[in-house]
Amino acid sequence: MKNKKKSSIIVLLTALAVFALAPLGMGNYMLRVLNVALITYLCVLSVYVLLGMCGQNSFAQAGLWGVGAYMAANLVLRAGFPPVIALLAATAGTALFAFVLGFAFFRLRQYYFTFASVGLMTILNGLFMNWEPVTGGALGMQNIPKFSVFGIMLESEKANFYFILIICVLTFVVMRILFYSSIGRSFMAIRDNEIAANCMGVNSLLTKSIAFGISGALCGIAGALYAFLSGYLSYQTFTYQQSTMYLIMIMLGGTISPVGAIIGTMIISLLQEFVRPLANYMQLIYGAGIMILMVVQPEGILGGGKALYETLHKRKRTGPDAA
Amino acid sequence: MKHYINEKEPVLTLHNVVKRFGGVTAADHVSFELYGGEVFGLIGPNGSGKTTLINLITGIYSADEGNIMLGGKKVTKLSTHTRSKLGIIRSFQHPRLLGRCDIETNILVGVDLAVRRRLPQARDYQERMNILLETAGLSGVNLKDSTERLSYGQQKMLEIVRAMLSYPKVLLLDEPAAGLNRSEMNYIRALISMATNEGIAVLLIEHAMDLVMEVCNRITVLNFGKQITTGLPSEVQENTAVIEAYLGGGGQLAANQ
Amino acid sequence: MGQIMQLFVSGLSTGVVYGLIAMGMVLIFRAVGVMNFAQGEFLMFGGYLCYTFNQLLGWNIMISLILASVGMGVVGVLFMRAAYWPLRKAQARAIIVSAMGASMVFKEGSRLIWGSIPVKVDRVLEAPVKLAGGGIIQGQYLAIMIVAAILMLFVYLLLEKTFVGHVMQATAQDQYMASMVGVPVIFSIAMTFALSAMITGIGGGLLAPLFFLNNTMGSTAGAKAFAAIVIGGFGSVQGAVLGGLIVGLVEVFGGAYISTTYQLVLIYIVLIIVLMVRPQGIFSSKIQEKA
Repeated sequence: MKNKKKSSIIVLLTALAVFALAPLGMGNYMLRVLNVALITYLCVLSVYVLLGMCGQNSFAQAGLWGVGAYMAANLVLRAGFPPVIALLAATAGTALFAFVLGFAFFRLRQYYFTFASVGLMTILNGLFMNWEPVTGGALGMQNIPKFSVFGIMLESEKANFYFILIICVLTFVVMRILFYSSIGRSFMAIRDNEIAANCMGVNSLLTKSIAFGISGALCGIAGALYAFLSGYLSYQTFTYQQSTMYLIMIMLGGTISPVGAIIGTMIISLLQEFVRPLANYMQLIYGAGIMILMVVQPEGILGGGKALYETLHKRKRTGPDAA
Repeated sequence: MKHYINEKEPVLTLHNVVKRFGGVTAADHVSFELYGGEVFGLIGPNGSGKTTLINLITGIYSADEGNIMLGGKKVTKLSTHTRSKLGIIRSFQHPRLLGRCDIETNILVGVDLAVRRRLPQARDYQERMNILLETAGLSGVNLKDSTERLSYGQQKMLEIVRAMLSYPKVLLLDEPAAGLNRSEMNYIRALISMATNEGIAVLLIEHAMDLVMEVCNRITVLNFGKQITTGLPSEVQENTAVIEAYLGGGGQLAANQ
Repeated sequence: MGQIMQLFVSGLSTGVVYGLIAMGMVLIFRAVGVMNFAQGEFLMFGGYLCYTFNQLLGWNIMISLILASVGMGVVGVLFMRAAYWPLRKAQARAIIVSAMGASMVFKEGSRLIWGSIPVKVDRVLEAPVKLAGGGIIQGQYLAIMIVAAILMLFVYLLLEKTFVGHVMQATAQDQYMASMVGVPVIFSIAMTFALSAMITGIGGGLLAPLFFLNNTMGSTAGAKAFAAIVIGGFGSVQGAVLGGLIVGLVEVFGGAYISTTYQLVLIYIVLIIVLMVRPQGIFSSKIQEKA
């Protein structure tokens, strides 16, 4: 327990240091990219909880992200709520939405839920595009104010960066707590051996719905943050394609830990910026890339790193000067 | 630590339980009672329906006819997880551990169930865990290791440790000794002994006849889903129908002993 | 009455195509135990192949359909070899992600080859057809139903009455045993994928004159086919077909009487209701998992 906590803390502090110093060298454009990447990280984290911990694959996460975003925007613009309340309400609302839907969808066996989530994503995107009174329809919503708390408005990209970073750190900590909790163990029991889990008191339907709910909460926060940051919302942001990107990010980084979510998100988010000329082909490359990844190293970078570490360790032990 | 189970009343009762799969009757009007602190053997040739019965008791299969009762309470229609929360716990023929979790997490799943059952002694699990690990011969194991580091026999033992940490009322063991060597079997004996001392009703499916004859208080024999006979180990051993079921007619096995 | 008849016919014919897609999914599911995440892309790609032969090369629509289906057979085999076979021993999760990657490749590949502007294909039957009762239906609907019926009969005969079909069924039930008795498993599975891709691809060519072809139609189609399978009854071919018909009818009638924008919502509401009331689907019996 001590070792794992130690290495978690080291990772956290290092990442924190890197991130905290980042804005010093960056212009507003790159900071915006980074901010969006951090928000994306929260959505990828939702995939970590649902897939990495609980073994359920969902393609509706970008839809849940949208639910959070439109909820927060509506609460601020149409209902006049302060942004803090809107943020909390959007988080809770999206979580509840996902939790309740879970009870219908998780009656399906494991990967059938995945298909249903595609349907859900399509429906949500359709709602965002058509439900004019709430989402502004095809035109979307505009003029969402920046986030403000206690009268202080986060005008600059830098201010937003630190705010979003703090939230990301907090959610990372919550993930660690979840991992060592009994509900976290129930998630993993379902992932690794659902029948054994059932025989040890784990209620599949309820537990999976809770996982979906938690993933909804994460997407909800991300959605609200995005609404405040970008100021406008369009149905074209919250697409099935975006959901697949989350999956690719976590698969690349490694589903086994929230650190995998960080790695995958950062690599791909930053990659997008540096391969502009190839933009037209990126989806094709991602598609082919993920197919190859599944065959070569389904555990992603973290998994590959772990395997490498263990091979090196073994060589040490069985080398000429081994005991 | 004893369970407060009235030993005059059966802990688990099966009454005329029937299960059919298409044209095959896997369980044909099976009835028996299990009492706290006893070991009840369930034997029979391969394919006779033993694992099916455990699946029926735990709720993985639902019975077509008949009743299953825990104490006086009918559990026939309850879901698997509800039954386990009432105290019906099992091990599996091939160990079902959490492959991507470390050993400690696997063990804690058992503790979680005890907590979920609102048992007052649940949270102070360390001592019980250490006793169980020692009884199972696992005390030298690094809890942070992956379960893949354990031998097959150790994995089976870990499953029983996990089960025992949830303070079961009924413990269903599905061929715990299969794949184990003679010395590992001693750990199984010790674990079963610990269970019966705590007043747990143990159902033992086994092929290792010496273990069965040694630890079981009573035995029932299945063949093609039907119960051939139920009784003391000595009685069952001499029963010609049983011998025929195993050897296919005309066996003098028991008589020659 | 006439309007209801029209709706019924158009619902049946789109439904029967959904049935074909669903059937394709079930065939693969029975063969390898995993649902094909890229099945919708088979529909899209088949439609585009048909477009290539029919519009770009100017050939007759019937010939184009046949050529497109042959092409899809090849595509099915390639797909199996690239997306499924290397992962055949891996978890279902990995296979789904790989199929997702393949569907991205299909989508983007189609976009790069044929562009993103929606396109159309010739109808099989141009003129409206007069029905016995005095009504008129679009020729294409009739053509779809006839072609689909022929395909379903073909699949039934193939699987039930021919040696090849028996081999495919045997491999689907137990790969290991099949290999023990000398069946070249990879061959049999390849054939199953090819067949699945073919019948789904023809559906694409049939639907194309009614709805435009575009490279994103795959995921909606897949979502509908999946709903069809769950509603109709898991794992059974009849269930897939009947589920498809139900989905088609719900879509058309829902679109006419409630709203076209929320058609998929309606289908999924039906799906959820079925899940709540009878999770094994309408035509299936309860599935037990072994412990």
